[in-house]
Amino acid sequence: MIDAFASWMLQFGALSWLGTTPATILAMSLVAVAIFIFVALNALVLVYVERKVSAFMQVRLGPMRVGPMGTLQTVADALKLLLKEDIIPRFADPILFRVGPWIILLASFVAFAAVPFSPGWVPADMSIGLFYVVSISSVVVIGIVMSGWASNNKWSLYGAMRSAAQIVSYEIPVGLSLLAAVAVVGTLNLQEIIAAQAGVGNLFHWIPIPFPNWYIFHSPFLFLAGCIYLIAATAEVNRTPFDIPESESELVAGFMTEYSGIRWALFFLSEYANAAVVALLTAIVFLGGWQSPFADLAGARFGMISLTVLALIWTIFVKYKVKRLSIYPIGTILALTVIAWLFPAFAIWLATPGLVWIAIKGGVVIFLLMWFRWTFPRLRVDQLMYLSWKVLLPIALINLAGVAVWMWLTGAISLVG
Amino acid sequence: MGYFKNIGDSITTLITGMKVTMGYFVRAKEHVTLQYPDEKWPNPERNIGVGELDTYNVIRSKLHVDIDDCIGCKKCERACPVNCITIDTLKTDKGEDIGTTKLGTQKRLLVTRFTIDMTECMYCDLCTFPCPEECIYMTPDYRFERGDNKEVQVTNVERWRDRNNLIYEYSTVPKTEVDRRMQIIADAEAVKAAALEKARVAAEASAAATPKPAENREITPGSGEEQAHE
Repeated sequence: MIDAFASWMLQFGALSWLGTTPATILAMSLVAVAIFIFVALNALVLVYVERKVSAFMQVRLGPMRVGPMGTLQTVADALKLLLKEDIIPRFADPILFRVGPWIILLASFVAFAAVPFSPGWVPADMSIGLFYVVSISSVVVIGIVMSGWASNNKWSLYGAMRSAAQIVSYEIPVGLSLLAAVAVVGTLNLQEIIAAQAGVGNLFHWIPIPFPNWYIFHSPFLFLAGCIYLIAATAEVNRTPFDIPESESELVAGFMTEYSGIRWALFFLSEYANAAVVALLTAIVFLGGWQSPFADLAGARFGMISLTVLALIWTIFVKYKVKRLSIYPIGTILALTVIAWLFPAFAIWLATPGLVWIAIKGGVVIFLLMWFRWTFPRLRVDQLMYLSWKVLLPIALINLAGVAVWMWLTGAISLVG
Repeated sequence: MGYFKNIGDSITTLITGMKVTMGYFVRAKEHVTLQYPDEKWPNPERNIGVGELDTYNVIRSKLHVDIDDCIGCKKCERACPVNCITIDTLKTDKGEDIGTTKLGTQKRLLVTRFTIDMTECMYCDLCTFPCPEECIYMTPDYRFERGDNKEVQVTNVERWRDRNNLIYEYSTVPKTEVDRRMQIIADAEAVKAAALEKARVAAEASAAATPKPAENREITPGSGEEQAHE
């Protein structure tokens, strides 16, 4: 993408005096700025959405005062944070205290470099993209320990230590669950992983099933791998119910207790950037990335008709069970049937850019993370370690073996040849 | 097998919890409480009493008087078990028209003071029934706040214990008018007293001029009264 962008810039007369290398550097900078703007806006929007989601789940209305439905609340908060006094405790380590937040932000920011947003739209299309994202995300722990130690505060240090233990532990289930998907596709390149998930799903490479060919529907093992990845990734980005590094009720705010103003805003940016990375990676590896569901016209029509049949079965089931006809399944059937036979509607479906599809999928995963956050209570430290080492790790290992057996059964790999 | 049962229990309980929160999420608007400063319970008709949930807003919260309709009969003052109503009235001049009530009764008395002490009031509603003009009643106005803190000349601590803030004055007769009428009455009484004094002095003088026997005075005990009537 960078090279294409650079050569595109060189086409223009006003920019043709640039050499190839300066043009590439300029393209890199522009892409980096674009991603930074994305990260900032992402945090701005997600803070609002999170407050609204949490409010609705707790039977409140959330922010309602600033702007229509409180939409400008986050802007007001951001302005307040920018204008606040930058307080550094007297006995804090002056250098590490300042550097810590930037390392955290940088680690979550740089992870976007390998994320494919659309066909051809990936800042750095590297052959080890998945490995890069997973490994660069764990650099965050250095920043967390750094800010926790530099704060010279026992709560901060506790938070940092917990965070280190947690992130190091949950790296392993994350890696193993992603490895299951990698074992199926046979590459670490994220674009190739997405491309392999096109079309209609199938069972044993033979029976078409009315699901998209996403890895979450590939086999029971990959479904399990997706669940494990979501749980472990939630823990890796320190979100509730795994937020013991910053648990408000015990450690005030953990490693960010002593931070205020703009530095604290950096923590917030990185928190939501991390959530976005996790959501995008889930969407890419398990939900088909920027692929539209069913990918082509025949597939989409097949999928829609199958879903219509499923909705019909559901209607009959509901009627049998609650002894009255529910209106929602009928509505669903009507809508799906109409959509399935209306060609222009499908044209819109297929013409929707990949950016929109990956945004929808990522948004669904982020909503899931918020749903977790506002439903589940926080785990204790020992429970956290138990979950990682005694539950997720063995299941992920067995799951990996299961994927191998599945691949052998479906003929994708052979033990003989 | 406690291990697998543990995992299974975790998953089922987590799903149960997620169902609960999703149930609230999809229809949060139905469960949200009243957004108080923006929305209020609708003001009810003149309907007194705490009813079921649908008439929750019909509450007795503040006693109110339509002072323009008050004829100063003091029936409410007498009905009040805790003496929280205080009424002072003044007679009007003969032929003076101070208006009629909404029920058409000619008002005869000027209500110069009508105070209700809401710290004493026990919301029994007994005062509203004797009222012949239906001008005293309970309102659902539960907000006892004052518009401006500066109005109340007390400290923050004292404000909470200063019961005078909850004594409501309903009379609209200005103090100058009351003073004027009181002055007229006082003047009339002074004139009357002067006349009486003059008559008494004259009587004493005449009595001294023509002394009567003491036994005669005892036979006519009503003579003193006759003098006063004159």
